Amino acid sequence: MISCTEFIPAYSELFKFLEKQGGGAAVLDFWNYLSDNFLGNLKELVEQNGIRGCWMYWTHTLNEEAADFTMELDEEAGEFRIVMRHCPSKGRLLECKHIAPYHDYCGHCDVLYRRVLEPLGYECIADLSEVDQARCSLVVRRKRPASQAQPLGMTGVG
Amino acid sequence: MPKEVMRRSASDNAYLHKDFHGALSAGLEYVHRRYGAEAVRDFLRQFAASFYSPLRADLRKRGLAALKEYFEQIYRVEGGTMAIRCTPDELRIEVAACPAVTHMRAHGYAVARMFNETTKTVNETICESTPFAAELVGYDEQTGRSVQRFYRRSA
Repeated sequence: MISCTEFIPAYSELFKFLEKQGGGAAVLDFWNYLSDNFLGNLKELVEQNGIRGCWMYWTHTLNEEAADFTMELDEEAGEFRIVMRHCPSKGRLLECKHIAPYHDYCGHCDVLYRRVLEPLGYECIADLSEVDQARCSLVVRRKRPASQAQPLGMTGVG
Repeated sequence: MPKEVMRRSASDNAYLHKDFHGALSAGLEYVHRRYGAEAVRDFLRQFAASFYSPLRADLRKRGLAALKEYFEQIYRVEGGTMAIRCTPDELRIEVAACPAVTHMRAHGYAVARMFNETTKTVNETICESTPFAAELVGYDEQTGRSVQRFYRRSA
């Protein structure tokens, strides 16, 4: 058994392994597969609870992952936001001095969640500009008709 | 409805997200389907050789006590029941039920056909280039109950 506390390095090494097999396309294919086959709980929660389903899903995962974060839910505005001050996954990879993280490790988050949420009528905006410091943010917002579109008002992370 | 806010620091929670077992299982099943059984073993060898290199070095330095301490810690964190016997030449671990398999079965995650390789191949790889070898003596696919043996290679 590989402990769940050792999953993140295994995940990162899997991305490297797949890239050796078939380049970035092979990694992306796996991320799509994982989104379709592993994130059914996120999909169900959002289908049943709307944007609150995001709050429910990440309340479970981020607390179990001992993340350093702020989550906001504004149901009236149809908006959910995570500001990750220290991602436990990327943080552990950065702390692990004897293995290097997969170069686009954090890319999987954007692909996996977007693939679930966009078909349900939400847009996802991820800011991955500071992932080298284990910081990022994600905004999930109910899609609006183009005539009602508003700026996202993204805040910085950290 | 007012905006809801949740703020957490890393120290507010323990790091134990068992759903990761399901994600690893999904990854192994993907590699199996897409690239075949040997690719699953290749991946696990690559991962184990890199990630467990400090443990392997400790095994060379301190012998089987290093593995004993490692597995005791892992199964304590995961909440697994195990019996362990250790001598300078042999370490035998009997796991009543694999915590990963137990979690996946309880939460409806598919258990990869080759999930036992996370024990067999990983243990064998940790022992490579050391005076020791690993053997998966028994493994129950349904529960992950296992008997794992590490022993000193013949001279």
